[in-house]
Amino acid sequence: MSKSERKITNCYTCLECKLCKNISKRKFESGDCVFQNTGKCSECDGDLIVTMIFGEIIE
Amino acid sequence: MDFTSFDLGEFFGIGDDFLSEMMMLIWILPIIIFVFYGQRIQLIISSNEIKKDIDKLEKFKNDSRQKLIHYIKNTLNPKDDPVKKIDSFLEYFTIMPVDLDPNGIIPKINHLVHSREDFTRLQVKSLFNEISDFELTKVHNLLEIATSLQLFHKITRHLYLTAKKQKNFPLILPLQMMIPFIMEEANALKDAVESMKNGQPMGDGIGPMVVGEMMLAVSKQNAAFETVWAKSEYEGRELLLVKAEGPNATVGRPGEAIENIIPQKKPDLIIMIDAALKLEGENSASIAKGFGAAIGGIGTERFKIEEVATKNNIPILAIVVKQTIKEAITLMSEDIAKQAKSVKTQIHEMIEENSKSGQTVMIVGVGNTLGISQ
Repeated sequence: MSKSERKITNCYTCLECKLCKNISKRKFESGDCVFQNTGKCSECDGDLIVTMIFGEIIE
Repeated sequence: MDFTSFDLGEFFGIGDDFLSEMMMLIWILPIIIFVFYGQRIQLIISSNEIKKDIDKLEKFKNDSRQKLIHYIKNTLNPKDDPVKKIDSFLEYFTIMPVDLDPNGIIPKINHLVHSREDFTRLQVKSLFNEISDFELTKVHNLLEIATSLQLFHKITRHLYLTAKKQKNFPLILPLQMMIPFIMEEANALKDAVESMKNGQPMGDGIGPMVVGEMMLAVSKQNAAFETVWAKSEYEGRELLLVKAEGPNATVGRPGEAIENIIPQKKPDLIIMIDAALKLEGENSASIAKGFGAAIGGIGTERFKIEEVATKNNIPILAIVVKQTIKEAITLMSEDIAKQAKSVKTQIHEMIEENSKSGQTVMIVGVGNTLGISQ
């Protein structure tokens, strides 16, 4: 297996609270989509919005 | 060491005895072989390398087909066994219009492309009792990936086998030159299957991602098939925002949408945001600004945009995010995703520099909007 084929990509979802601007990152879950409202912020009860979904390559 | 008695004949093995004659044969024989059979030897070496790539292409083709069937059977609950229908879709071909007289060819290509899309959509729909637009567009895209890989494999195999059959070395040269590019695209398509199945955004989605964010707080209207638009405001300018309808796996029909909006709203400036293939040596996720319609594809959508902009004397500016073909069609990288904020800042700068308060600016986010809503 070549080096490039051994790379694993992990997908993450970035969440931002619209109120306190707190940013968190978690593993991608099926059904996530960018700009989706995923619930309430645990800190301030503001709306949590998905701001980014991206892949990180692990060698 | 004494070099004065150096014997050239002795050095090359040419002497009087039997051994020397044999040595001469060893020198001359390969020359004769290469004169008469050189091309064949090159053909064997080149074709062995190409054969390895063709085997890879066959594996990619089979894997993508298998993954599509597995996805439909295990995730989407089809009416019947989809294998036969999928195999028949994979064999569909498109005959491009005659271009001997190119005048008026764009509407013909446009009609052909739309007919093909509509037909495939109907065929995919017929596999299920009920299917959401999100899943429908995903299956449609997965089918396109499998069809493209099938086509790559078929064409490469045809050229390879023809060259071998006719023992024609020059025939294999163009294939040898093209195969690295074909393999790069095939590798990207193979890797795109997984993120497509999961509904994750791809690098090409950077344009819709930027415009989608600008659309968040305003109401959206239908602009064309699978394309939405919304009105917004920035520093006294009216903004007309256009993008494909997310989070479906579609690029929409931005050309048609712009054609529909321009007669009503008459914008003073069009700004297009898209992903662009980076040149070797350029940094991935770098941003570049320029002039003209930033949109890929077969060319029909770009033609429509250029046509309507020229008729109405509207300048078109473009912002592109550079990436490789693999980055463009597989899961969006962190570097590209993080450029969304910077692109938005550059849009604002472009608006301020190129329009006055009270004017209207149209902003078009071009690309596949899979996993990106608005």
